[in-house]
Amino acid sequence: MSKPINQLVDELPTSNITTFALKSLDFAIPGQWDNLVGWDNTIRTVTQETDDALIQMVSDRAIALYSAKSQGYQQALWLYQTIDSVGSTLGTAALANKVGEKVPLLGFLNKLTPKADKAQTLDLALKLVVEIVAFCKVNGIPGDSIGDFLKALGDYSGGALTRMAALVAFDGLIPLGPDFIRLVTNKLDNLSPSELQKNAGFKKIGELIPGNSAQGKLNFVGESFDSVKGWMNNFIQSRDLTPQKVSSSLQNFIDVSDDKLDYLAAFLDMSTNYYEHTGVQTLARRLIDRAVAEI
Amino acid sequence: MSFAYVRRTLAALLLSAVLLVTGCSTTTAPPASSSSSAPSETVSTQVLPGSEFNKFFPSASGEFDRVYTQEKEGFAEAKLKQNGNDVAMLAISDTASTPAAVQKYQQSRKSIAGYPAVEVGSTQTAILVAERFQVKAISRDSSFTGTDREAWLQKFDLNGLARLQ
Repeated sequence: MSKPINQLVDELPTSNITTFALKSLDFAIPGQWDNLVGWDNTIRTVTQETDDALIQMVSDRAIALYSAKSQGYQQALWLYQTIDSVGSTLGTAALANKVGEKVPLLGFLNKLTPKADKAQTLDLALKLVVEIVAFCKVNGIPGDSIGDFLKALGDYSGGALTRMAALVAFDGLIPLGPDFIRLVTNKLDNLSPSELQKNAGFKKIGELIPGNSAQGKLNFVGESFDSVKGWMNNFIQSRDLTPQKVSSSLQNFIDVSDDKLDYLAAFLDMSTNYYEHTGVQTLARRLIDRAVAEI
Repeated sequence: MSFAYVRRTLAALLLSAVLLVTGCSTTTAPPASSSSSAPSETVSTQVLPGSEFNKFFPSASGEFDRVYTQEKEGFAEAKLKQNGNDVAMLAISDTASTPAAVQKYQQSRKSIAGYPAVEVGSTQTAILVAERFQVKAISRDSSFTGTDREAWLQKFDLNGLARLQ
């Protein structure tokens, strides 16, 4: 079986390109992300309990719940991991000695290939689909009404909100520009099922996207994006977010000029795994929430 | 931090949510990893679905807001917010999956609404309804005290829950 949840949380990095990138979003979502790592530490933080025996009981139950495949948690993590691992990655060795100093993007230009708008559009849309499907796998469909369910979806905070902020910033604003919502809408409207089927990400996660055919799945991708357009628009406008503001914050650890944003997007895509990182943290919190209530 | 604005803009999610209800309930392919299955007692096949429990949760009004957060086999949970801040979690679980959870009530000398009650750790108050359903109020903010937990436990429809078997 895949690694147990306690090991996954224990192995979360405290300092790498992913954590730097996520911390750079603090200007947009102040105080929302604190990179909670370590299984024992996570349980103590979430539960606010200190008794060792109680912490152990919560831990045992949470680990058991995660390991039960029927509970959907492993599928959710698989989705987070898989959508992050589409495409090529920059060797970790090349980046290992860059943590703690500014990454000179110019030094990586020959290794970076900016994506065409259509490929980036699908990356963004599929990540959004992963978020929605993983939400269901982790939380079920909370409440008895659509209103309850929407309320649950809208109650994003902490790591989950950070993941959505990163999606907007790193997969929307930086690679596609300030008008990315309209751009993505147009591209998705004109996408054929066969184009979707050729996409590397879809090839991996397509089975888990609702829909009985490629057309049905394409419809779900489009509907998913349509349904959160309003949220994304509001998120951007209420914070007056621009590609320049995002890149300016990233410049605390990446040396990049504003005329190289497409390369910056490619660099982030190839050097970070923010879906997996925050996905593990979200999963851990939800498992601990459930375990502490069930013991 | 309040995200009320998020909810306001989520009206457009309606259609997608309907799709999701279909999509989520569809059996889908497992992860690509090979895996041994977990011990069968992790979630007993005898447990009731979490959806059975939602209607017994207390409603919230005024400065309080109730947000359902999880609905899994044998488990339902809601977050209680006060003026937009998370103050507590409210949960019902079916101990058919967690028989060990029942043991702590055997030494219980306290009752709430006529059901055996225990304090767990420093943040939880729990009761056992019909010798099967565990109802918990869990503080997530120091302003939400043991007295608050007890008061909110009494707001559940406990007698309705007791009739559920």
